[in-house]
Amino acid sequence: MGQTTAFGEMFRKYIADHFRRILLGALALAIFIAVWYFASWRLTESNGVLASYFPYPHQVARAFLASFTSPIPGPEAYMLNLAAASLERVLIGFGIALAISVPFGMLMGAFRTFEDLGKPIVEVFRPIPPIAWAGTFMFAFKAFWGPIAIVFVGAFFPILINVIFGVRSVDPVLMDAAKTLGASRKHVFTKVIVPSTLPYMMTGIKVGLGVAWMCIVAAEMLPIRGGGGLGYAIWTISDIGRYDYVYSVMIMIAILSILTAGVAGQIEQRLYKWMGMK
Amino acid sequence: MEKKTIVLSVIIVAVLVVGGIAAALLLSNKSERRAVYFVNVVPSNMEAWLAVNESDAYITWEPFASSATVSGDGRILMWTSEIMPHHPCCVVVVSKQFLSSDLGPELTKRFVKAHIEATEWMLNALSDHQSANYTLLVNMAADFTDRSAAVVSEAMGHVEFGYEMNASFKSALEEFTNMYINDGWITNETFHNRGYTDVPQFVDEYVNESYVEAAGTVDPRSTMFDVPIRLAYLKGDLHQMAQAVARNATAFGGQSIFEKYGLDVTPSLESGYAAGGDVMNAIGLDEADFGYLGAPPSILKHINNNVETVIVAQANSEGSAIVVGVNSDIHSLEDLIGRTIATPSVTSIQHLLLKVALERLGIELVKA
Repeated sequence: MGQTTAFGEMFRKYIADHFRRILLGALALAIFIAVWYFASWRLTESNGVLASYFPYPHQVARAFLASFTSPIPGPEAYMLNLAAASLERVLIGFGIALAISVPFGMLMGAFRTFEDLGKPIVEVFRPIPPIAWAGTFMFAFKAFWGPIAIVFVGAFFPILINVIFGVRSVDPVLMDAAKTLGASRKHVFTKVIVPSTLPYMMTGIKVGLGVAWMCIVAAEMLPIRGGGGLGYAIWTISDIGRYDYVYSVMIMIAILSILTAGVAGQIEQRLYKWMGMK
Repeated sequence: MEKKTIVLSVIIVAVLVVGGIAAALLLSNKSERRAVYFVNVVPSNMEAWLAVNESDAYITWEPFASSATVSGDGRILMWTSEIMPHHPCCVVVVSKQFLSSDLGPELTKRFVKAHIEATEWMLNALSDHQSANYTLLVNMAADFTDRSAAVVSEAMGHVEFGYEMNASFKSALEEFTNMYINDGWITNETFHNRGYTDVPQFVDEYVNESYVEAAGTVDPRSTMFDVPIRLAYLKGDLHQMAQAVARNATAFGGQSIFEKYGLDVTPSLESGYAAGGDVMNAIGLDEADFGYLGAPPSILKHINNNVETVIVAQANSEGSAIVVGVNSDIHSLEDLIGRTIATPSVTSIQHLLLKVALERLGIELVKA
């Protein structure tokens, strides 16, 4: 009961604080849906091929809701199953990328030797689109780990580059001040370098997450095993021509992407607070 | 509790609960379902997938079934003719836009005539394996499919080439359409919006036999029509060999069968399309006038995406098979339960027939 009241109060306060933003957001959404309706209506009137590619918003909404209670035509799977499969791959691929890129970035940012060793490799591989590795990864890592490897590559470089940049951006005055005050190397690292790097790292994480979702959707369009996933669903439903469901899956990807980015944002805030930065 | 902590907790719990439920659903499905799992693979890669145990079996069109048996890596578990005898497979479709042009009906009649002549030439060649035409056909097929002469000569024995569209052909198309409607792949709303009242009426309108019937009245022509015809077909699909024969000029004294009837036919994509849906998309995007593709994707794209086409001839029936590894312990469809089978795409006739065969045994076909 107390919790419900707290939520209600929080909701009312949020609305009051963000009324203008919410109003404009709702207006933009309404305009978008109106334009969508108009475009669908025009295409339907023309009776052309394009009409089926732009179903009405209410048809998409109907398909979206139906996808939770009955299997989606084509993949013959429920939306939740597909979302879970994609989420699993994104989290595994992103998690591995995070675990490797952060220490590597720290080392490359802090030590010239590591930078000299790592930079040529990073600069060679960084510009290559992750999906270009698809053929190699699908062969080398097979159908389950192949897409995860593509997500890994997609998320790895944004985090790495931001961490390197973050470490290099640490104010030398702060480092000198800490050392003058008797801080050990460990303390300089944990109390100066890591907190200063954190905002950059979080930027890398947010960018990396976005890239990870793009990668998984593209990777799942390749032949894969292991629950299909949202990318597979888009590919298959497009094949049978049910675009109301194609857009439903796109909406699900957007929701998941926003949700994971939201979690990252919340973690960022908690970390700042925990480290005494806010 | 602080606001952010509450929000964070709610989000994390929501993600965990949703993910957990979904994962549990997946796991429970895997363990309890009486199901065969499929994965969509390009036919030319299926043999490799089988070799590295990424799939336990595959179903495909010729020559990719015989390719495995000739190499000694694979064994035929079942021909699709055992699932549905004389089932329709590839068809010839024409764009309604092309048909409605001034010369559309005349050119279509001539196209069908060339298709028939190429098919009859193939049937004649296949009737005598010692003939020069048989050797010529095998070489043409090897070239078109990028497979060896040994593979294509084996494969051609499993394909029923033909062009006529009889009652059983139409009945099978009705069955396919009904399946799609029952599975929700085609909604009744869309079906009726396309102007069809029931499935037999749809098939009657969608299949036009008049061009095959009129082909007997078409004579060769010394000059070419000044209308280029764009043709879409599937990459290396032996079922669609008639168009490759009809396009071949060198084998017939410098003039192709299409040219004999005054037609300037060029591929809209020289390498061929990957799937029937792509062929229909090419027609829908006005990149092709005629297409060779499986009947099911033709039906789906016509109804769901309003790709205005008409089936004017059949290209073949049968000619697809389920292949397993030569030492595989799979000896029946029941043995496939819990295993993974590669299919060309969910809209392919091979996928559809596999689904039919499994459903008769009470087995589901679900995504791996």
